[in-house]
Amino acid sequence: MRFYVPVLVGFISVAQAHAAPVAIGDSLAPFSLKDYQGKDVDLKSYQGSKALVLMFIATQCPVSNAYNERMAALAKDYQPKGVAIVGINSNRQESTAEIATHASQHGLTFPILKDVDNVKADQFGAQVTPEIYVYDAGWKLRYHGRIDDNQRGDNIQSQDLRNALDAVLAGKEVPVKETKAFGCTIKRVQK
Amino acid sequence: MIALVLAGVLAGELDAPRLWRALDAYRGRPVVVSFWATWCKPCVEEFPVLMALARERKDLAVVSVSIDEKEDRGALEAFVREKGPPFPVYAKAPGDDEAFINGVDPAWSGVVPATLIVGPDGKRLALIQGEHSREEIERAIAGGKR
Repeated sequence: MRFYVPVLVGFISVAQAHAAPVAIGDSLAPFSLKDYQGKDVDLKSYQGSKALVLMFIATQCPVSNAYNERMAALAKDYQPKGVAIVGINSNRQESTAEIATHASQHGLTFPILKDVDNVKADQFGAQVTPEIYVYDAGWKLRYHGRIDDNQRGDNIQSQDLRNALDAVLAGKEVPVKETKAFGCTIKRVQK
Repeated sequence: MIALVLAGVLAGELDAPRLWRALDAYRGRPVVVSFWATWCKPCVEEFPVLMALARERKDLAVVSVSIDEKEDRGALEAFVREKGPPFPVYAKAPGDDEAFINGVDPAWSGVVPATLIVGPDGKRLALIQGEHSREEIERAIAGGKR
């Protein structure tokens, strides 16, 4: 995520990001988290994929939930093309049991990892759900932002995530590397 | 001209440039601009805090901007009617969300709730992204006075 340096004297940004957020072009440092079944998932196991999509998602956020079907469709369309898709739940109040039920109810078949104490959300600088990070085969960040430009899904003008993945798979420059959308807060623990 | 607050009635629709023009009316005192949505639980929980702030701090202004989509306007109007806040509640005009977010503040991730503190000079003073307390809002206002 780009860090916006305040340009006005006296400007204070009180965002709940902490460490320097990741930026386009940054390398992904592999990490391991438990999924909602308690199984360790090491991102190293996805090395060799043509792309890796990390999605900060939620069970209770209406915006994230508006994208459930689109996330399931994305996995169905892109996993066969060699794209690894991994969800991350960093919300303090959403349990692994709740994540499991939610995934089952909404057909989210990709792994969803529990980010206890929002450690990874802090490292990435992730702020909202849903928030997406796309890495290429060399694990360089190529896209960060929204899934598309229409929360309701009835008038999508820009398929930002699909466009990014298509570009990465084709070995081309991602046309729009960073986008924003309205979303829910990642409910962090007090540190 | 400062928006006439008709209790329980939306003050109108705004895109980012129109919001900044509307905020010009409050020059001379800090403005707490709250961005929220009816579907956002922490935003709804924060609403009474903003109402109390507006009632008790006459040295500042509170302006509320809902980012609810046009299709949810009925829920927004019902909410505002029920609460009758002592500050204007605008609705984000239909259109590009990203342009609105960046037009309000390039540092805003798009998360709601978000609170922008505008100084008496009409410039951005602080941006609070996510849930926050009244104390945090007041600290941000005071911090900007340094």
